[in-house]
Formats: sequence, structure tokens, C-alpha cells
Amino acid sequence: MEEGKVYASDVFAHLEMLEMRDHEAALKEEEELLQEEKLARLKARVKELRLQRDELRAKLDLQEKRQLEKEGPASDPAQFSPRAVLQWKIKSLQAMLQVFYLTGIGAKLTRRGVCFCISTAYEGTYLGSYYLDLLTKSEVKIYRHSVPAFIPLKQIAEQYLQTDIRRFLSVLSDQLNAYAGRRYQADQLQEHFSDQIKGTLQRNSLYNLLVFNYNVSSKSKTFPFNVRLLYGDLCCSLPTEVIVSCRLDAPASLTETAAAHSDLFRRMPLHKAFRSFSSTG
Amino acid sequence: MDETVIEYIRRTVLKIPRKEIKIMLQKWGFLSRSQLQTINFQQTKENISRRVALLCQENSADIKEAAALDIIYNHVYPNKRLWSVYQMNKTIYQMKEKETEFFDIRDFKTKFKRKLHSALENVTINFREYDDSAIWIRIAWGTPYRKPNQYKTSYVVYHSQTPYAFVSVSMFRSNVPLLLEALVAASNYNHICAMELRSHSLNSLKEIVFNRYSQNFQTYYPEALQEHSVEPESEPQIVHENRKTKEKIQGMNQQAFWDCSLPKLEYAQYKLETMFESDPKMGVLHRKQPFRCLVKFSSPDLFESLKSLAATSMAETSLSPLLTCIPQKPMNNFRITEETSLISGRLSTSLCLN
Repeated sequence: MEEGKVYASDVFAHLEMLEMRDHEAALKEEEELLQEEKLARLKARVKELRLQRDELRAKLDLQEKRQLEKEGPASDPAQFSPRAVLQWKIKSLQAMLQVFYLTGIGAKLTRRGVCFCISTAYEGTYLGSYYLDLLTKSEVKIYRHSVPAFIPLKQIAEQYLQTDIRRFLSVLSDQLNAYAGRRYQADQLQEHFSDQIKGTLQRNSLYNLLVFNYNVSSKSKTFPFNVRLLYGDLCCSLPTEVIVSCRLDAPASLTETAAAHSDLFRRMPLHKAFRSFSSTG
Repeated sequence: MDETVIEYIRRTVLKIPRKEIKIMLQKWGFLSRSQLQTINFQQTKENISRRVALLCQENSADIKEAAALDIIYNHVYPNKRLWSVYQMNKTIYQMKEKETEFFDIRDFKTKFKRKLHSALENVTINFREYDDSAIWIRIAWGTPYRKPNQYKTSYVVYHSQTPYAFVSVSMFRSNVPLLLEALVAASNYNHICAMELRSHSLNSLKEIVFNRYSQNFQTYYPEALQEHSVEPESEPQIVHENRKTKEKIQGMNQQAFWDCSLPKLEYAQYKLETMFESDPKMGVLHRKQPFRCLVKFSSPDLFESLKSLAATSMAETSLSPLLTCIPQKPMNNFRITEETSLISGRLSTSLCLN
């Protein structure tokens, strides 16, 4: 046990060292604790700041929107992303409305009812639009409209407006589209084939009766044909009855041509029929 | 007959403004191009008309050509005449017929002439069709014992397959029933009655009755979105007082007139047959008879002036529904009796006498 005596100072030194170590460890722990506390505090602060930032962003968005309404289109696109987002939203909404417009019947809820917009088109060409402002308080009534006076709106409304509004709109849309189609055909005929038509094109407001004379050439001679087109079905843009007649002194072969033309008029649009037999001769 | 026809043509040419004579003669098409070239359009109207009369005599113009020129003149200057609107109806039986009606202009003309001639032999009837499906009918009236007087004419403008007709009668009002009867028979209707709508501007009447004026319908039509352009700030030195009240009144006006351009009407007339509410002590006026007066609002453009009443602060409240209902009804000649005076209560006591 001499070692014990001999190393007494060592033991003290060792103890001191251990004490020091302990002290250091304690310090370290304290430091670590402090660090953790600090970290926790900082994390809380970050949360706070994030909340604040979100609030401010929301406020800014609102202000931006108000500013946009006041000023109109954005002046500096690179300035704020919320403005760009808003613009994108507006564009996509406009595209959606355009799609609805293309379906032919569009509507909007008004204070007192609904306002319908019926758009007409014929074979890929868009023609006019007609509006109907309906009241829907107690019973459905037409408040005002832009449908032409020769379309029998009153009759269609009497039949379907109260009972089946979908049918009402569909019938009205069919009639308006058919009228627009008939008028388009007559206009196209006058525009592109005015040299073949003799005199004026006799028509009426609904374009459901067309009478005109046109020239048919056969063996280097021209013969006048008279056409009478009756459109009995107001929802249809092709004629229900076609009468093609020629003068009594015309050669017999022309009666065949007359029959062929009559068939063409019954099957295809007016201007297309003209195009087909003016190209075949 | 020839002399009177030539004189009639000459007088019609005299009515036309000098700058328009050439165009109108070209539209007429009775004189050939070479003949037109011989006319010096720089001289006085008197000389031009004499020259035209001479040429017409060479071409032996008849009453048909003369009437055509008259129709063309009235078509270009319809505002010189006063037009009334008539509405035709069918019976329920007729309306239930499922067969589509084909309006044939030739049938219409024959039926009209036949009906009118059966009532009165001495009439001249002429027709002219225009591109917008409008049929112009000119009628010159005579009596059972006298030939038609070409200077006393009535005009009818009719759009096929519509229930409306625009009539302008110049003199012989007693002949109007004959005209209306012929019109009803020719257009396949049963009844005809006058609408309380009259104006010099034929186009405005057409716009109102055919719903052609640009009503501001609320729709999602894409182009409509861009219409709400922001109004630029006016000069900074101008300070608008009572801005809120003004805006409120404008808002009410917009609601009433739908913020669209309305057709031109010249007047709105209200015949009041209401009781005058007075203090019983004012013995003279305290009678049990309706107090009759006629109130007439006239303006070159009635609706525009009504709209601007609020903008110029001449009206402090919104417009009376009696004024704003005009395009909707449509009518511009009103008769207000005791039953309706409840609505127009303010109107009957606070208006000036005409």
C-alpha cells in the first residue's frame, strides 16, 4: 500500500482533475441548456415572424386587388406575383366564359331572374346573338328581349315557358339558328353568285320563301330557270319544297337538269348547291 | 293625265335638296345615263326641275314612275312625315294553326289592291320593297267621283311576318279605316288597333317596336367584360360637390334606362283627367269635375335630355316611372285618369299647365 502513500498528491491531483472535469462538464451542460433554450426561443420567434409575414401577405393581396380594381390592368408585371396570379385567374375565367358562349346558350343570374343569350351559327360561321331577360319571381315571364318581331316568340312562350323552360330555350334556339342559317345562305348567294341571278331575289322577313331566276347554260345557250324555295319547317335551314321550272321553249334535256338542281337545293345549303352545279356545268 | 304627271314629277324634284337630286334620279333609274348627263346640276332647282320634266316627257313617264320617285323621296326623308304605329292581331283559332305561313309578296300586293279597290275605286296604289324586308306602300286618294289626287298621299311601311305597321296619313283621315282593312286582309291578320306611339322619326319607332335598340343585357359575353373601362380623373382643379347624391341619382337613372342608347323620340304627351286636390276654401277651384290639362315633354331627343337631367342637377330625385316606362310599353301618348293618379300623385299636382 505504499502506492497509496506515494500517490497521495497524485490522488489529489486526480481529484482536482476530476473536479475540473466535472466543472467543465457542468459548464458544458449549462451551455448546452442555454443553447437549447436559445434555440427554443428562436424557433418560437421564427413561428411568430412567419405568422406575421402571412398576415402581412394577406393584407397586401387585398390591397393589391383593390388597387387592381382601381387602376385597371397591371402596370409592372414583374413587380408582385399576386398580381400575376390574379391576371392568370381572370384569363382562365374569360376562357371559361368563351367556352360557354360557344355552346350557343349562355345565361347569367340577375337580380330579378335570369338573362339568357342565344348565339346563332351556321356551318362554322358565327352569326348574331339574341337576348332574353326573364323574371322568375312568381311565374316565369319575359321582361324584355332582342328577338326580332317576326320570330313567333309569343307562341313559343305560351306553349313551353311555364311548363318546360329547357324545351322553350331549345325550340327558340333552333328557330333562331335556322333563321340565321337561311338568311346567311341567301346573303352568300347574293354575294358570290350575283352574276348568275337575273333580277332580284324575292324573300320575306323570315327568309322562308325564296323566289328567283337564274341562268343555266346548255350548248352555248343560256336558259332562265325559276326557283321557288319553301321552308316549311321553321326549325330547319333546308327547304321542304323546291319547285324548279323552265320556260316552255327550253329543250327536253333541261328538264333533267331542273330535276337534278331541285334535288341539290333540297339536300345542301343554297350557296353550296350553286357552287356545285356551276363547277360541273 | 300626262301633263299632271309631268308636273307632279317636277314638283317632287323641287322638294329634293339640290345636292341630292342627281343621286336620287340615279336611284330612280327612269332617266338614262346619257339623259342625266345632259342636266346641269349646278343651276337653280327651278331650272333643273324643268329640264327633268322635259326629259320625262320625252320618255313618256306615267303615274307608276312618278309614284316610284315619290316613294324614293319619302324613303330618304321619312322624318318629314308623322308616323303612327298600328298593331295587328290574329284570333286564337288562327294562331293555333300549325301550318307555317309563307309570306309571298305577290299575294300580299294582289290582296291589298283588291281589298282597297273594292272599297274605293279611285286610288293609286304603288309598292316598293327594300333590302331590310320593308314594304313601302304609297296610296293616293280620290273620291268616288274624282280621280286620285297625287298630292294627298298616305304611306304604309310594313315588314312581312310582323304584327306592326307604320302609317303616315297626310290629309284624308276618314280613309284610314279603308287602308287598315286592306292591310289586315293582305297580311293575314284579323284585327288592327292603334298603338299610342307617334313620332316623326320612323327609324326610332322601328327600333322601339322591333327591340332593335342596344339594350344593355347582362351577360357573360366576353367582349362585355372590357366595356367597364375606368373613367379617367377629370381635371384636378374641378371639385365635384354633392358627389354622392349625384352618383346616387345617376345610379337610379341607369337602372331606369339601362345605360344604353335609346332611340330618338320627340315628345311624350300626358293627358290628365284627374281631380284637382285643393283647399276647400278656394271655392272656385273646388269642383267635382276632373281638371283637364295636357302635359307635353318635347325635345329633339327626349331620352337623352331626360338622362341628362340628373347629370346637370336639374332633377333631384329619380325619374317618374311614367317617363321611364315609355320604351317598354311602348307608347308616348298617355291618358291619366283618377285610377292611375295614385301612382302619379306627385305628377298631377306639381306640373305646370300647358
